[in-house]
Amino acid sequence: MTRAIPLEAVLAVAAALFCIGLFGALSRRNLVGVLMGIELMLNSVNINLVAFWRYLEPRFITGPSFAIFIITVAAAEAAVGLAMIIAIYRTWNTVNIDSVDSLKG
Amino acid sequence: MFQITDVPRILPEILLLVLALLVLGSDIFERWANNDAARLERVRASAQLTAIGLGLIFVIALVQSGYVYKLPDTVPVNFLTNILRNLQSGGPGQAPIIGAFATDDLTMISRLVFIGAAFLTSLLCLDDYPSSNPAEFYALIIFSTLGMCLMAGATELVMIFLGVEMTSIPLYILAGYFSSEARSSESGMKYLLFGAMSSAILLYGMSLVYGFAANAVGGNGVANDLTQLSRIAALSKQGGPLLTLSMILIIAGIGYKVAVVPFHGWSPDVYQGAPTPVTAFISTASKAAGFIVLFRLLTVAFPRLSGSAILDANLGGWTSLLALLALLTLIVGNLAALPQTNAKRLLAYSSIAQAGFILLGLIAWAAPQAFDRNQGTASLLYYLVVYTLTNVGGFGALSAIKLAVGGDDVSDLNGLARRNLPLAVLFAFCVLSLAGVPPLAGFFAKFYVFMVAWQSGAWWLVIIALFTTIVSLYYYLRMLKAMFITAPSNESPVAVPAGIMSALGISVAGLVILGLFPNLVLGILSRVQTVAGM
Repeated sequence: MTRAIPLEAVLAVAAALFCIGLFGALSRRNLVGVLMGIELMLNSVNINLVAFWRYLEPRFITGPSFAIFIITVAAAEAAVGLAMIIAIYRTWNTVNIDSVDSLKG
Repeated sequence: MFQITDVPRILPEILLLVLALLVLGSDIFERWANNDAARLERVRASAQLTAIGLGLIFVIALVQSGYVYKLPDTVPVNFLTNILRNLQSGGPGQAPIIGAFATDDLTMISRLVFIGAAFLTSLLCLDDYPSSNPAEFYALIIFSTLGMCLMAGATELVMIFLGVEMTSIPLYILAGYFSSEARSSESGMKYLLFGAMSSAILLYGMSLVYGFAANAVGGNGVANDLTQLSRIAALSKQGGPLLTLSMILIIAGIGYKVAVVPFHGWSPDVYQGAPTPVTAFISTASKAAGFIVLFRLLTVAFPRLSGSAILDANLGGWTSLLALLALLTLIVGNLAALPQTNAKRLLAYSSIAQAGFILLGLIAWAAPQAFDRNQGTASLLYYLVVYTLTNVGGFGALSAIKLAVGGDDVSDLNGLARRNLPLAVLFAFCVLSLAGVPPLAGFFAKFYVFMVAWQSGAWWLVIIALFTTIVSLYYYLRMLKAMFITAPSNESPVAVPAGIMSALGISVAGLVILGLFPNLVLGILSRVQTVAGM
């Protein structure tokens, strides 16, 4: 069953997802968009872990348990991130990264 | 397996958790009046509970480690000696708990550094910070300290990740704590975005390491946790590009956390915008935790990839990578600090530059002789201890100035000696120690890492580091000139809260004592010769 799709193909999807996420996080000007890019990066890690687990050592649970920890922590991070976006919007009246620039030099 | 006898080994972590919940609970269950006096009382109650609790936990961790006094086996048995013996049974030197958390000398020493830094930070915000719901603020500091302790002891990738996040997420909130202030919210947001991105990069590296280990075992049923660092080291004989790539990603991810160039972009903004006591905490404890994790990870999991930093020999491996990062960090950090007009931002760039010096101690680990390796470890830890004391003192003085004068530009320091001589003198001690002026600990720390790095063959890096040290004198002395020579805008004395003054006093006393008698701690630090899991 697992041989129908080679491991390399799954890893390529994960790598592509990671790159898309990184590009999104670096190029989006909207704070919510940046957070979404970061979530994509984290999910590509999950795909990696689960794929390695399923193809290479399906009898142990290290891979999926690591992935579950990542999902949990990502949720916590997203909660803090969205709360901060709200705080930014209240003080700055914008969620555009380029306009939030009181600190520089 | 986790056994009941493992409980004393993680006692400081348990106590930190209990203290954090106690701080939260004591604030929630008290019925506070709604006026200014009650609000100040509320801040003080949480702050004092935090400071006293952290002080106690520091003492307990110190007694547990047995560095000051180790109970001999021959003393008569009574109630007190029993308590002491049970406490010290969790001392350094046993196998990691369920392979995930080591309580070796490295963990013990780092715990003392983190808890000490948190204690000094809580002293810094004893009187005026924060404005509303003070318990959250202090509980977050304690949670973050707990995360740092977990980071220091982690010998497993999942544990490292959890420790990093447990440290970082409270710090994001703390940096953006004053959400109605433009600067604070901006700094919190930037910290969160960069931190989350670096976590993702770190995790991608970790997932590749896991895949590498799973591939090396080949699914033939060796019942072992493939995320354990020692397991990775045992499997890493084959090496290969995948392991190198994942190592680079991991170094990049942790490099963000410790703010080495080219991953330093966030740190000046965050340090400048965050509340000053929080800046003191981020720049010391969290950076030290990052270096400890980097040290344990690289030396335990990737010893075969260490390479060397000797120019004509075999460049390659993480030592060369770190040498390159150190080179960039030293040059960019010191040069970028030169034109700064904001004192917090100036100290932020200075702390980037300090990270470059700390990397020198890590590089020495790949030295061919075991003696140099051990020296490298001791110099790294000594630098971290001294750096923590210095920067808590420096940012603490800036927070006092911010409270009294209302700003944190270098021009706000003008004539401080005439307005509050003790504060100016203590601040000057911290600045001189950062610059590496002889009687103070900063000098010996720099001298020690230079010596060790030179012996291990990275002489070219030491020469560049010496040059950048001379450059750094310019911006450190600029702050001293503002304090002692420039005339103040007004002569009214600057009032400093007692908490900040005592934190400054403790750190400066530490700097002077460690500078004059470095042997006091070097004996303890040099015990970290074998890191658990190797």
